[in-house]
Amino acid sequence: MSNYERMSIRQRKWMLYLMALFVLGAGFTPYSTIFYGLVLGSAVSFYNLYLLQKKIEEFTGAVVAETKTRGIGTMSRFAAAAFAIIIAIRFEAQINMIAVVIGLMTAYIVIVIDFILFRTKDYA
Amino acid sequence: MGALAAAIAVGMGALGAGLGNGMIVSRTVEGIARQPELRGQLQTTMFIGVGLVEAVPIIGVVIAFIALFQ
Repeated sequence: MSNYERMSIRQRKWMLYLMALFVLGAGFTPYSTIFYGLVLGSAVSFYNLYLLQKKIEEFTGAVVAETKTRGIGTMSRFAAAAFAIIIAIRFEAQINMIAVVIGLMTAYIVIVIDFILFRTKDYA
Repeated sequence: MGALAAAIAVGMGALGAGLGNGMIVSRTVEGIARQPELRGQLQTTMFIGVGLVEAVPIIGVVIAFIALFQ
């Protein structure tokens, strides 16, 4: 297994742990609107992370194989973020908007923390 | 005015993301084409670079939709 695959699996695992924590928060704390927002945002963020990992793997594979490829999915990730915000605006009473934005940034926080913790091992 | 604010927010964000991603991808393609054995290392660097570049325009999209619908 390559370093990149190990890193991808580790990041997805941490995202799932965080999402599980948010679901528990939504179920068992009185701050359900905030946690609904975090769950929605982190679900979309997980999709963004998965898409980014997959597209970069495909893209670099195509460069090595000297075949053609289609983009790296930037617009799909923007559209996913817009989708989460539209849902949050539609169900304003149930979902906290700031929490959705924080949830959307979860994947980036995971990427940076993973990079800081494992830069000597996997990123060298 | 809301639509104008949304257009500026998402447009400037996408412009920045396009420039940033273009630079990252072009350098990665150059590097992999020159040394295909470094693919793993370069794609990891590209992943982190693209991830960090795209965080800001995603916030831009969020701000645009909030400006448009609220």
